[in-house]
Amino acid sequence: MKVNTTRFGEVEVDPGRLLVFPQGLLGFARFRTFVLLQPDDRGVFYWLQSVEDPELAFVVTEPTSWCPDYRVTIRASEMALLEMEDPSAATYFTIVNQREGAITANLQGPLVINPQTRTGVQVVMSDRQWGTRHELVRLPGAAAAMSA
Amino acid sequence: MLVLSRHTDEAIMIGEDVEIVVVDIRGDKVRLGVNAPPRIAVHRKEIFEAIREENAHAATLRSALGISGGGGHALNAASGRLRAGAGTFATIRSIAAGRVSA
Repeated sequence: MKVNTTRFGEVEVDPGRLLVFPQGLLGFARFRTFVLLQPDDRGVFYWLQSVEDPELAFVVTEPTSWCPDYRVTIRASEMALLEMEDPSAATYFTIVNQREGAITANLQGPLVINPQTRTGVQVVMSDRQWGTRHELVRLPGAAAAMSA
Repeated sequence: MLVLSRHTDEAIMIGEDVEIVVVDIRGDKVRLGVNAPPRIAVHRKEIFEAIREENAHAATLRSALGISGGGGHALNAASGRLRAGAGTFATIRSIAAGRVSA
């Protein structure tokens, strides 16, 4: 199938590779179907592109690559939504942002995906240990100023 | 806004399947219990708002982090330090739908 995107043009994807977030993402509840796109084979940042809105896409990364201690607390209701029993079988992503001269990750609201069913949920963690703007990379002056 | 008075252990129903119980009242703190089906997400509002705001901002990033030149270099350097196992990337590749040039 073809997915229209404003950033990458028309992308051909296998319909079996769609990801469904039954509740959507916070603030974007209307958009349920996404695809994960890889800019290149070695990159650590990916795009989570909406299938329903060409304009809507998020940069995501795998959080434990950056923070080996990072753990997601998933509630029973979220596990039920994902139809999962074992949280260690899930795949985790965090949405990436650019904030005040740094690349940050929202570790308080990670995306949890059941790779078997390709169902996902944005988990809201109530403890504030990691926060919504965890700094991954501080940008040098020029790039920081550009993003201001 | 509908305002209701409730004692400890009393509840309200929202629709047919959402129940909110007053579990405990101590000083200015109320402990609430929520029984709701899994499809209904229940969150503390301030955390919900903070995550929603990050999502909204993240959705405005246009290119791969809007970075070129020195910023890209910093990212590559940081990426080189990452310690993800090959297994992690294999799983991600199995989830990914395709490749794009950013």
